[in-house]
Amino acid sequence: MQRQTTVMRAVLNSRLFWLIVAAVAIGLMPIIFTDSYWRTNLIVCAINVMLAIGLDFILGYAGQLNLGQSAFYGIGAYVSTLLIMKLGVPFWIAFGCGVLLSGIAGMLLSLFAVRLRGHYLAIASLGFAVITYQILVNWISLTQGPLGIYAIPPPPALQLPGLPIIDFKNLANLFYLTAGFAFLAYLLLDQLVRSPIGETLTAIREDEVSAASLGINCQAWKVFAFAVGSSVAGAAGCFYASFVGTLVPDAFFITESFTILAMVIVGGMGTLIGPVWGAILLTVLPELLRGVGDLRLIIYGVAVTLVVLFMPGGMVQAARFIAAYFRSLLPGRGAGA
Amino acid sequence: MTAAAPTVSGGTQSSRDGAVLFRAQGLHKSFGGVRAVRDISLAIPMGSVFAIIGPNGAGKSTLLNLMSGVYQPDAGKMRLDEIDMIGVPAHRRVRYGLARTFQKIRLFKQLSVLDNVVAGFHTHHNIFAWQYVLHGAAFQRDHARCRDEAMGLLAFVGLEKRAQVLAGSLSYGEQRMLEIARALATGPRLLMVDEPAAGLNAAEVDTLLDRIGVLRQRGITVVVVEHNMDLVMKVADRILVMDYGQYLFEGSPVEVQANPAVIAAYLGADFQ
Repeated sequence: MQRQTTVMRAVLNSRLFWLIVAAVAIGLMPIIFTDSYWRTNLIVCAINVMLAIGLDFILGYAGQLNLGQSAFYGIGAYVSTLLIMKLGVPFWIAFGCGVLLSGIAGMLLSLFAVRLRGHYLAIASLGFAVITYQILVNWISLTQGPLGIYAIPPPPALQLPGLPIIDFKNLANLFYLTAGFAFLAYLLLDQLVRSPIGETLTAIREDEVSAASLGINCQAWKVFAFAVGSSVAGAAGCFYASFVGTLVPDAFFITESFTILAMVIVGGMGTLIGPVWGAILLTVLPELLRGVGDLRLIIYGVAVTLVVLFMPGGMVQAARFIAAYFRSLLPGRGAGA
Repeated sequence: MTAAAPTVSGGTQSSRDGAVLFRAQGLHKSFGGVRAVRDISLAIPMGSVFAIIGPNGAGKSTLLNLMSGVYQPDAGKMRLDEIDMIGVPAHRRVRYGLARTFQKIRLFKQLSVLDNVVAGFHTHHNIFAWQYVLHGAAFQRDHARCRDEAMGLLAFVGLEKRAQVLAGSLSYGEQRMLEIARALATGPRLLMVDEPAAGLNAAEVDTLLDRIGVLRQRGITVVVVEHNMDLVMKVADRILVMDYGQYLFEGSPVEVQANPAVIAAYLGADFQ
């Protein structure tokens, strides 16, 4: 009995176990949800997960209040789409360029804003988001402005040896692709934050003067955090464009930055799993509330406000409370341990 | 006023005892109209405990901030072991062997006590870049080594039993000791502690004195900024006295205690 509990606890604490659970869950999703409406939402979830964990790396770990995430998202989408549509570049090369350019944009923004903190950085990054949006709207010869770019093809079909052709016009396959990349992005960031880089970024978040006194080059590491976080947003943008098939600048308006921020806060800043849940909840919840009409915006707003007021640690904090409660019910342990 | 006359003599005198680890000449720093540090020169002998004392507002902490690179001086020279420190940012000075604690405690309060110390190993990870993403055997060794050494440092300051609690939940005295452990994690040759005894009770001060003594035996040069005279007299080999941002006197504890200018600064000129 006692040993069973110990083994169970070891399994529940192992990362591999949860990664397998996540992979299985991703695999099952399109089987559970067979209609195209919910499969579409699943893909949007995967894209939002990427945006949220990318922002969390910058905000939750390095502590930099970045409101420019919508711009990095847009740069990834537009760069890859323009390369595909105007120059006929193959999808995966265009994807790589989109990710790279978003990352470079993130580095440039942080190089300019590296001396700014807190609200000042928020304003500067918001300004960056506004400027990027305005460029997308007004550079009509390149982006076709508000008219938008239409008929963007989905990613090309994959031909793997020994397998049937995987066609990404099929929403289930497209979900596997985006969710697979979201999973990879999560793994990459998780490995980074579990390495000394995680310690370094957290030190910067907690106290920059102190971090510098330990030999940490705060400015360089902030640039690094921005580069990584904005690249992940760029990847999300590439998938968004090829999934929706239509690009208009309004998809990357600054409100998108705040939506992503809400996902990170509601899920739980400074953990990677929190923003994943935050992204899923804040993607699915508005869809579930469609039945109540305009009331949904009020419910949504109230829910977010309540979380911020009473659960500053977000869903992760709530989960820990619940887990601690059930642990106290387990036999063989002191009550209220 | 004794003015700036004997500034350089301090340096020559102490270099007699051995090699000089850190040397500063003619440091100036102003904030607006406030001249916080005026024409300060010092030479810190290798392996010594060097104290900087003075009344509140004498510019001690500003001097420490100049030495550690938090501020750059308006004028003057600084050398650590013949390496020019002017213009070198704070984080790079750590790689040359400078470490410090803060008068106003600046721990990572939301991190555990152990993680505070582990963060101090930033400049001492010897793993390849790809290991940060693909954690191999070398990564695991590095990870284990940092935690072992961090626990060793916590034991040194008497906090090994508190390793897992949040740094913010430590008592004031424990937080001061944790700052020292964290600074030691950088592997310094010159450790600068800013008012380490402030807020400590008598027993904690004794532990602090003992630990500083052990560090000195291990060959670490220690700079103590303090206005607790008792502590300074017990621990210091040489003392620099500052007043109103200026040099007042430099010498051994006995010389400092006998110097009329120092007595005047501390007890008021009427005392004479």
